[in-house]
Order: sequence, then structure tokens, then C-alpha cells
Amino acid sequence: MSYALTEFVLAILSIFQNKMFLRNFAAFLTLFFLISCSNNSSQDIDYKKSYEKELGGEIINAMIGEPSNLIAMIAGDSASSAIAGNIFNTLIKYDENLELEPELAQSWSISDDQKTIIFSLKPDLKWADGQPLTSHDIYFTWKLVTDPNTRTPYSSDYLLVKEARVIDDQTFSVRYEENYAPALDTWASLQILPKHLLENEDINNTFFSRKPTGSSFYQLDQWVSGQQVSLKKNPLSTQGEANINRLTSRIIPDTSSQFLELIADNIDLMNINPIQYQRVFPAREDLKKKIALYKELGNGYTYLGFNLNKEPFNDIRVRQAINYAIDKDEIIQGVLLGLGEPVASPYKPGTRWNNQSLKPYPYDTEKALRLLNEAGFTKNKDGFLERHGKKFEFEILTNQNKQREMTAVLVQRRLKEIGIDVNIRVIEWASFINRFIKTGEFGVVVLGWSLSLDPDQYNIWHSSQQGPGQFNFIGYKNNEVDKLLENGRRELDLDKREKIYHEFSKILLEDSPVVYLFAGYGLSAINKRVQGIKSPAPPAGIYENTQEWFIPKSLRRNEIAY
Amino acid sequence: MNAILKNPLALSGLIIILLIFFLALFAPILAPYDPNYIDIQSILVEPSPAHLMGTDGLGRDVFSRMLYGARISLLVGFVAVGIATLIGIILGSVAGFYRGWVDSLIMRLVDIMLSIPTFFLILAVIAFLTPSIWNIMIVIGLTSWMGVTRLVRAEFFSLRQREFVLAAETMGASDFKIIFHHLLPNSLTPVIVSSVLGIASAVLVESGLSFLGLGVQAPTASWGNILTDGKEYIQFAWWLSLFPGLAILFTVLGYNLLGEGLRDILDPKNKNK
Repeated sequence: MSYALTEFVLAILSIFQNKMFLRNFAAFLTLFFLISCSNNSSQDIDYKKSYEKELGGEIINAMIGEPSNLIAMIAGDSASSAIAGNIFNTLIKYDENLELEPELAQSWSISDDQKTIIFSLKPDLKWADGQPLTSHDIYFTWKLVTDPNTRTPYSSDYLLVKEARVIDDQTFSVRYEENYAPALDTWASLQILPKHLLENEDINNTFFSRKPTGSSFYQLDQWVSGQQVSLKKNPLSTQGEANINRLTSRIIPDTSSQFLELIADNIDLMNINPIQYQRVFPAREDLKKKIALYKELGNGYTYLGFNLNKEPFNDIRVRQAINYAIDKDEIIQGVLLGLGEPVASPYKPGTRWNNQSLKPYPYDTEKALRLLNEAGFTKNKDGFLERHGKKFEFEILTNQNKQREMTAVLVQRRLKEIGIDVNIRVIEWASFINRFIKTGEFGVVVLGWSLSLDPDQYNIWHSSQQGPGQFNFIGYKNNEVDKLLENGRRELDLDKREKIYHEFSKILLEDSPVVYLFAGYGLSAINKRVQGIKSPAPPAGIYENTQEWFIPKSLRRNEIAY
Repeated sequence: MNAILKNPLALSGLIIILLIFFLALFAPILAPYDPNYIDIQSILVEPSPAHLMGTDGLGRDVFSRMLYGARISLLVGFVAVGIATLIGIILGSVAGFYRGWVDSLIMRLVDIMLSIPTFFLILAVIAFLTPSIWNIMIVIGLTSWMGVTRLVRAEFFSLRQREFVLAAETMGASDFKIIFHHLLPNSLTPVIVSSVLGIASAVLVESGLSFLGLGVQAPTASWGNILTDGKEYIQFAWWLSLFPGLAILFTVLGYNLLGEGLRDILDPKNKNK
């Protein structure tokens, strides 16, 4: 205490000595926070040394919101699925190179007609409560996810299974009506639930969602609402033993507070924003010493989407013109401080599905104006474009996401320059989805897609997917694209599939139903006490091998012995 | 006016308000940059002679945005309170003059409105409307008239018994004339004080709404908007939080000082001093 007090007084003195008092005001606040929260600020740690693997310790991360429910198929929010992923297993999973490998299954085989998959499970699998985990549990989970009474958004993939069968306790098979290329991929995302605990429960409303029993590395230890969720090791884990004893996720709803906690050593990892990555860290030696930064390209992109059922966006020339009029490099520089990549197809750059011959629309206002003239727009006396006496104006809707809001402001400025009057409206997520997206009451949106690893994007672009709540809410309809998407999900030969999706991307770019804006890098800051993180990141990202991470004893926080 | 000059509270409040008015009025002349001019080459630049209050996350000049933001804050304060005062005066006069069931009805309405936490009511309403500066002013106005209503009604109650009112009534003056010629002019004192204080809270509500993203929409500058932008970078770009924070503080302080000062000046008990 007296130590902290001395440092506090010294800090105040040094600030008053400094002529630029204001400049230090923020630093002072941070320092104050540091002193008041930190419990081992005096420790001198050598982070450069390489450490031997040691078991034990605790890793603390931060999440914005509280998980709604630990049954992933019901929850659907990222906080929930992040935690549930440490508790439950899937049949198969992606390895660090994004190849499928066994998890609960020890192997799988596909029949000659490509319509049946047979999984055989590893022997002697157990739930955390000691009950055996068998193919009956797999069948039960499949039944559950396809049950119309289960409130899940993930049923559609599993509904394509025509027949699921328990062959014996360790063998499970599914048969599809037709070839379905993403079939295997879907079994890498279905978390298997215990039949013996859920058989007589209402899945939508069960004790199990807050007291789950799983089979993976960890089990729930403590859940304090509004504060934190802690996991401890599951001694009966089906996947071997993880190195770190406890995973704690603290709920800190504000990213700036999370950042302060990271600096104060009270959390070990968080996602940071480009300003923190590019500006704050380079300027702070003390932070660079104890915190490592990681960046990896996310599997998703941000776009400007048109409501294709509305004038004038049903005109391809208008969409192309707007595409030409937006300077994407400026957005990447201004909003992401360079931490993003331009995109020209809906696939992650660097993967085989991305058609590299495609290039984004260059920033070219002359071309934009020419296209708009062709579409019947002319400049009026105020300098705005108009057609049939009506000014060209629209509203860009986006949710409360700083990056998207800034993007919208940059787009607004560029479009104003060619004579389109744009307003921006920022809306809270739930009402954004319910009042605008689901009802189709919007003109233009700035949004993002996070993508799965399989290239099938049937539910985003196929013309049949336009119902309320479905993903093709922009109303895209192109017969050629429909056909390609249908073929793509039936084609099992990877090279042929690649060709199909390259063609599909080409038409999509030409048609411009959305303006691709950027793919941003995911930025993580992780305290250097956490060792064993693969660098450079493998294709699956740094979080792929968290069970192999470890915290050397000498670097741990002071903790109570158990 | 003399009284204000002699009252240090009121005077300091008035000076602050006048200064902010001056800055807002001459924003186009005083602002060194277009408040919406984006310069991605100078993102989050520290305050310097070129950018007196630094720049924000899109390289816009914070000083220019503060000046234009002052217009929003002052406009919202005045219009919202104007609406509230108008409603308050009308309802208060009717209740105070006619009494009886009319009075009961209006007073119960006041009770109901007062029992709802205003800020959350405003939040709920704004979430359903298009957030725009006009909607905000109207909504703030429509949810903050209760105080004025009660004040006017109470004044009317006491004035109603006075001889000059009875005299007017016996001479056959219409209700309208009695209300507007005799009662209202004599009950405005507390209304003025409460309106000035009301402006302060309207400014705060607008900043709060903008801070939550439900207020004035981008790219229009408002103090609350700038403050939200600043929240993201508070450890790093202190100027984005400090200046709008101070501006809101001083504006609210100015109105409060002026309001308190006016109360002292206009209080009849102080007249002899």
C-alpha cells in the first residue's frame, strides 16, 4: 500500500513539474488505474527468455457481452460460442492448415455414390460426468438441431440429411438425398450434446444452458452474472489434457476499459483496434515489453449493399457507378490505418476460392459520372444529380460499429463529390435487423459478412433465399449465379468446385450487387506471459492451438493455491 | 439589467453564455477548416497551432467541429425549452384558471409524466423515430414541460384571488383577456428562471443522446458526438474527450449560474436589498 501511495504521489509531482500538463492528463489517469488495480507491478519479468512448457496457471480474457446460453446451437452470439467451444466437441474439426481432422470421430468414410458419410467414434469416450459418449448422443444432437421446436438458426444444413442412423455404439451414418459438397464441413460445427442429460428437457429453456456438461478440455467452474465465466480443466477430456488450468472470461462491456485492464495486467488478451495497434503500442516501450501483438486476416469482409428491389439500385449502371465513385484505398488507410486488404470477391484473399484475376473497381469519378449519365441522371443547378426531376439521394444504414460509421462518412463524402446526396443513420443492432433488414425497408447498408470455411454461399446469394430473416436480404437474383451456386454445392471435385466459385465471383463483381469495401485484419494483443502461441499465425489463426498454450510459473499472477 | 451586473453569479453565467453564443454565431468565420473536411493524412494529430484542438479519427479539425457543435447544443437547448415552456404555460394556465376536473386531469397527467424516468422515455422514443436534431428537440420539449406547468398553475392559484383579477372579472373581461393580460405577465418570473435552468438540462440530454449514438447523426458535429469518438481513444487522444467535455461543462454551468442569479434577482423577498 505504501509503495503504491509513494508512486502515486511521485506521479502527481512529475505531472506538475511537466509544463505540458494536459498532455500527461491521460497518462496520469492510466497510471492511476495501474496503481489502483495492479497486484504485481513490482515484478521484473524477463519476457525474452524462452520457457519450458509447464502445466497450470490461469488465462483471463475479456468479452464485450455476457453469453446468453452455453448451448451453441441455441445461443448464436459470439461470446457464447467462444466459451461453448472449450466445453463441447464436434465430430471432426479443422487443423491449423484448415484440413479436416478427427475430433470425437476417429475416422470417417464416404460411400461411392458420395451420398453417405459413416463416422466411427474413438473408443471409450466419456462425458465430464463419467457417462459414456456414444453414437446415440450424436444421433440425439442431430435430432435436436433439426427439430422444428428447437429455436436454432443452424438447422438448414442438417435438414438436408435424409436419414441418420446409429449403426452401433461407435458408428454413426448420415445419408443425403443428393450430393452436398459442404456436408462434411457442417459436422465440424455441430457441438455434440449429452443425450442422458437433455433427453427429457426443453432445449430452449433448460438448466443445462447455464450448467453444461461437455466432453472437451474444460468444464464450467463458476458463472457470476455480469462479471465472469470461469472454466476449469475437465479430467475426463476426450482430447487429452490442456496445459492451462483455468480459462476465465471477464465481462467488460467497453473496449476502452478492456484496454486499460490489459495495460494494468488484469486481463491477458483482447482484440484491439487499428489505432491501438498502429499508434498506441509503437509509442509505448513499456507496453511493447510485456504485450505481444498479432495480426491475421479475418475470414470476412465489409461491404456496401444495395436494396436491389428499389429504384435506382435495380439499375446495374447505377451500382457500378457508385462502385467506381468510392475510393476503397482511402477507407483502408483512413479507417483501418492500412490494416486491411482490398477485396474483389466474397472469399478470403490467399485462399484457393479467391479468384485472383479479379481486381476491385478502381476509383474513377469520370467513369462513374458517365455511367450515371447513361442511366439518365443529369446535374441540376445545385450540383446534385437528378432524374425525372428527382434528386439522387439515399440513406446509408449501419449499426453502432465505429469502423462502419467512419466508412460510411468517407463514402458519403466521395458520393457527394459526384453529386449524390447521402445521409447516414446509425442504429442499434437488434432494431437494425428487425426493423430494416428483415422488412427490406432500407436503401443502402454498410455491413459485413463473416464467412465459413466452405465456399458455399448459397444462403447469401441464391434468389430463393430472400424470405424474411434469410440472408439474401438485398434481393439479389441472377439465374446464372443461381445455377453456379446449385452446382457448387453438389460438386465434390475440388478443382471443379474452384472453377465454379471463380466464375461465380466474376459475375458477382461485374453485377456489383454490393460494393466490396475491405477485409480487415483481426488484431490481438496478448500478454507475453502466455507462451506457446504460433507465430507467424497458421492459416487457421493463432487461436487454433489454445490447448497448447502455457504460462510458465515464474510469469503467473499471484494466485491462491487450490 | 443593472441587477444582473451587480449579481456576480448571474453576471459570470451571462458572460459564459454570451461567449458561447458569439462563438456559435460566428462559427463560419472563426473556424479554420470546414468541420466535415476529412484529411486521412492527419488522423488524431495532437493540438498544435495548425489544429488548436487537434484532429479526430478521420483527420477532421476538432476546433472547427466544436464551433459548429456549439450551434447544435444552443439550438437544441433553446428550441426544446421553448416547446416545453409553451406547453407548460398553456396547460398550467388552463389548470390554474379553470381548476376543478380540468385541473385534476392536467395534474394527473403531470404526475404520470413525472413518474417516468425522462431520459429513458426519450431514449425509447428516439429509438423509434429517425434520429435527427429536430426530432430530438421536439422529444425533449415534449417530455420536460411538467415543471413549468406546476409553476404556472401555482402562480395562477395565488393571483386568482387578487383584487385586480376580481376587478377585471367584474368588469366583464373575457377569460382570454384575464389570462393573457393580468395573470400570465405576473407569473412569468419563476418560469423564466426554470426555463434558463431547463436549457442546461436540455443541453446535457442532447449530449447524452449523441454520446449514445441516438442524437445528431454523423457527420454533423455535436459535442456529444465528438465525445463518443474520444471515448475510443481516451488513453491516447485526450483532446477528443477533454474539449467537448469542458464545453458541455461550461455551458451547463453558465446556464445554471445565470438561472440561479436570476432567481435571486427576481425574488421579491430580495427586492429591498
